[in-house]
Amino acid sequence: MIAQALMDGMIAGAMIGLGAIGITLTYSILRFANFAHGELITWGAYLALAISGGLGYLSSTLTAPIGPFSFGWSLPLAGVLAVLLTGALALLADALLFGRLRARRGTVIIMVMASFGAALTLRSLLEFIFTSKPAYYTKALQIAQPLGGGIRATPDQMLTLGLSAVLVLAIHLLLTRTAIGRAMRAVSENQQLAGIVGIDVRAIIRVVWLLGAGLACVAGIMAGLLVQIRPHMGHDLLLPLFAAAILGGIGSVPGAMLAGLIVGLSEAIAVQVIGAEWRAAVAFVILVAVLLVHPQGLFGRRA
Amino acid sequence: MSGELVGYGAFFLTMALTYAIMCLGLNVQWGQTGLFNVGVAGFVAIGAYVSAILTTPDSSGHFGGFDLPIVIGWLGGALAAALVSFLIGALTIRLRADYLAIATFGVAVVVQLCALNLQSITGGPFGIGFIPRPFAGLAGEPLAFSLLNLGVLALVVLAVYLTLERLVRSPWGRVLRAIREDEAAALALGKNAVRFRLQAFAIGGGIMGLAGAVHAHFIGFVAPDNYVPILTFQVWAMLIVGGSGNNRGAILGAVLVWGLWTASAAAISVLFPPEQQARAAALQIVMIGLALCAVLLLRPRGLLGEVRVVSRHVGNLPAIGARDFPNKEIASHAREP
Amino acid sequence: MTGAMLSTEALVAGYERDLPIVRGIDFAVQAGELVVVLGPNGAGKSTLVKAMVGLVPIHSGSVRLREIDTTSTPAHERIRRGVAFVPQTENVFAMLSIGENLLVAANILPRGERDRRLRAVYGLFPDLAARPSLKAGQLSGGQRQMLAVARALVVEPSVLILDEPSAGLSPKIAAEVFRTLKSINEAGVTIVLVEQNVKAALAIADRGVILVDGKLRHEGPAASLASDPVVAELYLGAHRRAAVVPA
Repeated sequence: MIAQALMDGMIAGAMIGLGAIGITLTYSILRFANFAHGELITWGAYLALAISGGLGYLSSTLTAPIGPFSFGWSLPLAGVLAVLLTGALALLADALLFGRLRARRGTVIIMVMASFGAALTLRSLLEFIFTSKPAYYTKALQIAQPLGGGIRATPDQMLTLGLSAVLVLAIHLLLTRTAIGRAMRAVSENQQLAGIVGIDVRAIIRVVWLLGAGLACVAGIMAGLLVQIRPHMGHDLLLPLFAAAILGGIGSVPGAMLAGLIVGLSEAIAVQVIGAEWRAAVAFVILVAVLLVHPQGLFGRRA
Repeated sequence: MSGELVGYGAFFLTMALTYAIMCLGLNVQWGQTGLFNVGVAGFVAIGAYVSAILTTPDSSGHFGGFDLPIVIGWLGGALAAALVSFLIGALTIRLRADYLAIATFGVAVVVQLCALNLQSITGGPFGIGFIPRPFAGLAGEPLAFSLLNLGVLALVVLAVYLTLERLVRSPWGRVLRAIREDEAAALALGKNAVRFRLQAFAIGGGIMGLAGAVHAHFIGFVAPDNYVPILTFQVWAMLIVGGSGNNRGAILGAVLVWGLWTASAAAISVLFPPEQQARAAALQIVMIGLALCAVLLLRPRGLLGEVRVVSRHVGNLPAIGARDFPNKEIASHAREP
Repeated sequence: MTGAMLSTEALVAGYERDLPIVRGIDFAVQAGELVVVLGPNGAGKSTLVKAMVGLVPIHSGSVRLREIDTTSTPAHERIRRGVAFVPQTENVFAMLSIGENLLVAANILPRGERDRRLRAVYGLFPDLAARPSLKAGQLSGGQRQMLAVARALVVEPSVLILDEPSAGLSPKIAAEVFRTLKSINEAGVTIVLVEQNVKAALAIADRGVILVDGKLRHEGPAASLASDPVVAELYLGAHRRAAVVPA
């Protein structure tokens, strides 16, 4: 029983981790808590829904489940497109709102406020377009396969875990082995010095938005696939995402993923102990604990 | 007919004034000390629920039912909210400003969760009903009832407004403004900046709790659905539009935005068929969201702007507090020659 | 001023519009010179050089690099034009390793050039070459300064501008820094040096200028400045005026 809870916790944690990586990257480079990040998750999920629905309409072969999974090729194809579109959405938000406030030397708080407003706008727009009824990528049911030790997981869930691991590795390599990754780390540490050494900070900011949004989109598609798609799905993840980003230490990608797993596992264990209706409070407790004991988090620098 | 209109007007204004109290509370937190509370709804809910528990008659359905007078309920609600504000503030006030934002967001989420799940105390999803209303004896005469309630609310708003205006112009208030404009200078003056901000945060939270209590007694019930992020958003929009930092702006913004809100709600109920109402309500929020972003971009001062009670530059000292600097560039500039 | 490598004309600059710190400076550096910028605290030395590299807003006047007006060139373009700047503090990326710090700087060079330049810079700074994977944050003050200078040299700049490179260093390490700068200058790099360490700086410089209260008050060959009583007067005079000027 507890082993299954741990499995479920890992899967939830992987999705939280992906979202938290996006938050920690944008937070460390843009220097404000972006309350609209949850909406990138939701928009990613809905964009993929719309596109895969459209693809399925065009050709029903695309909806035929691939192998053991519950979805057809329409979803991965839609996913790729959705990632690009979610990235574009983030860049648009930056161009219209955040970038302008930044240029105006807006304080951190104004940026957070604007992100709050943008979040509500984006969320309600989705609610208007799609209504608040839950939606699903596929109607196909999945049987959980036994993995040994009393743990079961569906093929979709295994894919999610595997994909998360691959993405985390890819981002880690990006940050440590490529020029762009080094530039991102430089900008994250000291924007002024980065400019002095010739890094185009504005371009790096755009890259970070794209990366964060892309990760959010993938997390959203995963959540939509494994659970359901609703307009509030991203907003409901905000508290766990922030808790994970802060626990991991702002700016640390491995920290964010590790913290995401911790949050996911804690939620799963707590659900066993005090009941599922209290799930959302777990992240808050973790957040408070981190802020009380070690605000820099596991791998972060000064708070 | 005109009696109905007056009655409706009184109702509208009474609701607007409950929001005005919330705005005044938020103005203490934001306008006077620059702290961003993303969980306004949570603090309002605390005040509402505590007051409800204190003043409703005993019933087997839930804990509480102390059947205390309304005023005690209001005070209790305000105090409870002030206490929680103090605790959350103490936790985060020395950290980054946006950590406070995240923490208050968490408070609102947890308060909603408690309201939903602690059935024995809060009545769960159905909440607590039959909250005693002021002048309940006059319920049979709707016009007099509405006008008297409006009067009560106007009195409360006036009392809060006058108290806050006194506070702003008092030495305590001047220190707060100095801290907001220039933390380093204020620290150099020997005041414990953290202590002052914490006090202001608690006071603001208490006022929000009072608003929640007053609101609950006016509409007669509390339920988790009354205290959702939209509420926080409405209050913020009201404060920003009206003019943050300015108490009159807070009240004006509340009335104005509440007017826009009810007007657009009425428009929606007329323009959209019943089954589309929920969808259309989402559009309402989209428009207000866009309006908030537009105000932030174009006129962050809001309508009434900020009344400068304390001059901006406190002497010639450079501001080295990195808290309010948009990015490190400015902060490091200020440090070096 | 014709023929100058780097020059400013009637430059007025400062962080805030109504508070200019640099208040009208005509300043020129010839190719190959090592010029030292001196002056009491608050004179605007740092602000001047930062304005010259685009880090401080310019209110009026101009900055030219070899006759080309660079007044409004964005900061990250300057290095591509051959102007390298070493700030006084936070001049290396502490979270990156030595090698990564240099790689970041080398990134603007064409691919083929990078290895060559990195090898050249490592040759100049064998201490850094010894442990390139060490995080910059773990270096001593002197080593960090060397890394900052090395980083600036990676792109083979025409002009190297340094803001108090000896600040916080022991006299022995400071001397090493000055020796290194001298040899870089002898290799043909124009250097502009802001310094508080008047004696040591003038010892390696060709020329010096003295700023007081945002204006250029005095200049001359380094050798004569070292024994010029006017210099002492300008420094002492500034101390006598108890001005509460942002430092």
